[in-house]
Amino acid sequence: MSEVTTRSPRLIVKVLCFAMGVIGCVIVGVFTLFSWQTNARLTQSVVENMEASQLRFASIEARRRRENMLQAIALAENPTLKAAVDTHYSERGNEQALGQLRSTIETELAKLQQLMAIPALSVTDVRGIVLASAGPSKADWPAGARVSFRIQEDGAPVETVITRNGHPYVATAVPLVLGRDVIGEFFLASPLDDAYAVNLAGEARADIAILLDGRVIASSTSAALQRALEEVALPLNGTIQLAGDEFVVQRLSSVDSVSVYALDSVTSAARAATSETGWVLLLAGAGALLIAVAGSWWLARTVARPIDRLSNSLARMAKARDFDQPLPPIGGSRELDTLKATFNELRTAVSLAEAESEAAYLGVIGALATALDARDPYTAGHSQRVADLSVSIGRQMRLSETDLETLRLGALLHDIGKIGISDAVLRKPSKLTPEEFEQIKLHPTLGARILKPLRFLDAQLAIVELHHERPDGRGYPHGLKGDEIPLFARIVHVADAFDAMTSARAYRGALPVSTAVAELWRLIGADFDPQVVQALAALPVALTEPAALESRRGETHDVSPERAARSLVPFPARSTAVAAQSTPLTLRRAE
Amino acid sequence: MDFVRAWTGSIAALAILCSSAPYRAAPARESAGGTLTGRVHVVSHPARRLATAGAYPGRIVGIQADRDSSELDNVIVFINSPMKVESVVQRVTIRQTNEEFVPHVVAVTAGSTVDFPNDDLIFHNVFSLSRAATFDLGRYPRNTSKSRTFTKPGVVKVFCHLHSHMSAIVRVFSHPYFATPDRNGRFTIQGVPAGRHEVTAWHERAGEVTHTATIDEGGSTELSYSLPLTDPE
Repeated sequence: MSEVTTRSPRLIVKVLCFAMGVIGCVIVGVFTLFSWQTNARLTQSVVENMEASQLRFASIEARRRRENMLQAIALAENPTLKAAVDTHYSERGNEQALGQLRSTIETELAKLQQLMAIPALSVTDVRGIVLASAGPSKADWPAGARVSFRIQEDGAPVETVITRNGHPYVATAVPLVLGRDVIGEFFLASPLDDAYAVNLAGEARADIAILLDGRVIASSTSAALQRALEEVALPLNGTIQLAGDEFVVQRLSSVDSVSVYALDSVTSAARAATSETGWVLLLAGAGALLIAVAGSWWLARTVARPIDRLSNSLARMAKARDFDQPLPPIGGSRELDTLKATFNELRTAVSLAEAESEAAYLGVIGALATALDARDPYTAGHSQRVADLSVSIGRQMRLSETDLETLRLGALLHDIGKIGISDAVLRKPSKLTPEEFEQIKLHPTLGARILKPLRFLDAQLAIVELHHERPDGRGYPHGLKGDEIPLFARIVHVADAFDAMTSARAYRGALPVSTAVAELWRLIGADFDPQVVQALAALPVALTEPAALESRRGETHDVSPERAARSLVPFPARSTAVAAQSTPLTLRRAE
Repeated sequence: MDFVRAWTGSIAALAILCSSAPYRAAPARESAGGTLTGRVHVVSHPARRLATAGAYPGRIVGIQADRDSSELDNVIVFINSPMKVESVVQRVTIRQTNEEFVPHVVAVTAGSTVDFPNDDLIFHNVFSLSRAATFDLGRYPRNTSKSRTFTKPGVVKVFCHLHSHMSAIVRVFSHPYFATPDRNGRFTIQGVPAGRHEVTAWHERAGEVTHTATIDEGGSTELSYSLPLTDPE
């Protein structure tokens, strides 16, 4: 399980990544497309906006100009002003009188200035010599200074740009007319400064730059943009690059050498629109992501959870090696149910095949053992009896069922090596020569060699190879001692010896059980393992009887009547009644 | 900068509304002196209507274009000398008619009184900022008159505070040797003391032209003036 999760991401992560990827791609694509389109569209709209604002500005300007002029005309009709200016001529030479007249003019101008809030009001005589001025900017219009301005012959008011002390002013000039004569000029002037430009910018709804001979004298824009403006040749209208941004430029008005330009940045307008869209897309993306997360969660619930349940069930089954139970229902989807059903079928088929093959190889092994036993009438049924007795001893020693099965098979095959021993030796009724006995002693090693290729008999191999080892180290083939010999081998060794003693041989008859047990007791520690012998001795009598063993197997075997009637006599002598009661043997160590 | 002139030259001769013609020289004593005669020439230009800022009426308010007038009426020829000569005190009238002071220019001896009757339906005012006579007669209605006595010689410019286009000039002399030319430009000053005199022809805008004349006792001297009223352009 853990291996799986570390190697490949979970389904929910995959789905989420996919959804996010798709959403991200769509948003980025839409945004790019939009940005690309927006710029072109915005340039057009800024230009249109500019044209509209120029029209609006032009009408505002025309009205403002006319109002300014009417205002100027009205102001120029001031009787005191005119009387003072006119009297000024006739008092020439009398400085005191002239000074008085000038202060009269100044007083009048100051009163008008308070009413009109014009930055500079000034009155000149017909030569253009300033008689008096008023207003916050009057310092640029001092009395006695000469204003270079040509009075209109027809006495019409004009708007003009006059530079005073280096400060450009836009001025409405109106002649002072007395009767039919022009007696002086009256100026209403506003400095062309940034405040003026900002005011115009408010009316034109665009940035304003005022240029005098290509030099920016006032603007509502940044200093950097002003510098950029001075470096380029401004068209009457059109698009230009200024300080890296694209601007739509339009000349709104022109008075003398002063031009008023409106500027609007396409780039900043585009940036605003793009960022607005960016926010919208971001919001949409967040929403889509939320939906994707919810969808993935739902998907995980309906797909991943049942898969998790399925794999958990399988893991439990694998751990317990219990494949008999069918998988519980998974739910979630038809595919998963089909998968479960298929798995269940597979499981049934596999367990069936397994049972078949197990039965088959058990049959083969049984056949092998039977064939071996059949070579010698004296050893007929020997393997089976050793197997049964070994299982009985093992059970007595409280071994697990699995171990008992291993023990049974090992015991069944313990003499398989005898296949390689010649009949002459094996069936020799007389005493064996030392050479012949050496041949016999080869059979555990031979058996091990025969069974080695059969991997499923690995556990039984030790039993076959070591069932003639003795605790005192005098056994064969390796001469292992005590605990070096596996328990199963020790069990089979005891059972083998017991069955040999209780079976008839060509050279002797069968020993009674009690004699055999006594023999076992006698050789305990040297030949036989004490624990195993103790367990054997503790067995019910019926289980140790070779006949009983035979009959329980239901074999139609020729059993001699005396063998059948034989009862286990405890050692030393005990009454047969005790044995008949099938009480556990309580054996003493033989003297 | 030069003067810009806009003169009205009128040809039609209508009844003169002035109650008194421009005062000519009125010598105090007839016994001595000679006579100074001459001719003044001024150039008249056709009237020009002042432009306006828009679709509004022109700026010539209340001026009767067809009024009989001549720039010669606004010329004074006088002996330019500060001499003090006892002379007859005059009483002259400048009417306020059709929002105009008529006549526009008067010359008087010191101590003379000028009446300013109001002939119009509207109120008028008479005031002056000139040093020779600074005064304000206040506002007054039709058919009333106020007057002012001018004692100091000099140029007194008179205006109406209610109508800024109205103006008049009262020139006050310390002697009686002055005259206004007639419609032909001719003038006569009688009883001028014998001797060399500076004789000046004056117009409010054109300024002055001065000639020197020698007056013989009982003799007559002729002078000719041309006032540069021509527009430079």
